Amino acid sequence: MKVYFFLGKGGVGKTTISAAFGTGLSKNGHKVIVVSIDPAHNLGDAFDTTLSNRELKINENLYAVEVDIEKMTREYLDDLSKKMQHTYRYLTAMNLDRYFNILKLSPGIEEYATLEAIRKYIGSKNFDTVIFDTPPTGITLRVLAMPRLSVLWSERLISMRKAILSRRKMVENVKGKVEAEVEGEKIVLTSDEKEDEIMQELIKYREEMLELNKLFSSTSCEVHIVTMAEELALLETERILKSLSIFSITAKVIYLNKFMKIENPPEEIAGKIHEQEQVVTEMREKFKHLFIKEVPLLRASPRGIRDLLSVYESYIVR
Amino acid sequence: MKLFERIRKFFIGVESGMRETSVSLIERELEEYENIFSLLTMGIFAGIPSPPTGIVIRILPYMQREVSVMMKKTKDLSDAFGDTAGMFDIT
Repeated sequence: MKVYFFLGKGGVGKTTISAAFGTGLSKNGHKVIVVSIDPAHNLGDAFDTTLSNRELKINENLYAVEVDIEKMTREYLDDLSKKMQHTYRYLTAMNLDRYFNILKLSPGIEEYATLEAIRKYIGSKNFDTVIFDTPPTGITLRVLAMPRLSVLWSERLISMRKAILSRRKMVENVKGKVEAEVEGEKIVLTSDEKEDEIMQELIKYREEMLELNKLFSSTSCEVHIVTMAEELALLETERILKSLSIFSITAKVIYLNKFMKIENPPEEIAGKIHEQEQVVTEMREKFKHLFIKEVPLLRASPRGIRDLLSVYESYIVR
Repeated sequence: MKLFERIRKFFIGVESGMRETSVSLIERELEEYENIFSLLTMGIFAGIPSPPTGIVIRILPYMQREVSVMMKKTKDLSDAFGDTAGMFDIT
């Protein structure tokens, strides 16, 4: 399984480039799915069709889906709420239920749902290539950083849980099983790691995140940065690469989209063309380990398989 | 023989008393750990920075014991001094 993430600021053309990339790979015989995890979807526009939360076959070997992050978040919280009603019998007595409502507004819930969507498609056996069209850089970097952070947190919490269980065991050795009374109901508390649900959940989550982290930093995962040949974009690209390297994720390709190739430019845009040339030279010097590809500003936005394939063959595969 | 029996019982009593004291200290420590664990993972309710939401969501359904300890601790916060004094048998 090969996984590609297309990263970049809003409006630089991530969707078009990722759709073109997916179209090209599918023509080469790969079974590809292009997954939009950007809440402001426009992948359907690039393929010139209507996409939804369900995988849609666009062409031979090519599928696409626009993940409904909001719906996923709602589903997680509903599921959580059901589990809570089952376990927290005294929930209403403590007025905690109203606090759980704020979880849907909690920072990180969207990133969590996005990460779960990524996990879902990476784990899919139906495709050999998954391409993610991502939300603007900031959110995506937080999502990509999440597995590593989660591993660190779960490790700390696991060792803390071990301390709790070992003390429970000490008490148990002297006084027998530790019991707790919650709202008049007696619960026997376990000191066994295998029986402790919190410990098991923490271990399971750590394993899942370790696996994801391993994949993100492996050669099976490639980050492609879509940007424009402008000074600010160059600075942003540097920041993206720095953030990615902290999490051991390596970028492979930079696409300079909407590149203006004009011989004898009119005076009004001569400055812009000059800036573009400078940025390209600087980028080629600074990012020697990356492929830098120029995708020119096209007469019309590419829409549909034919246009996208033409973009792939003319500018991406070269 | 009777004297020996009495001395034996005396030491058993002392040992069980000491054991009781040390176990109650461990129990207190255990409660503190449980409280910190829930504050760390559910501190979001009190504005404490929390772990990644994924972890919170996964363990939340099984946190009833920790939540009840946290609630109890919060209630006792108004008498933290008395609470600590009680722990060391200071009256």
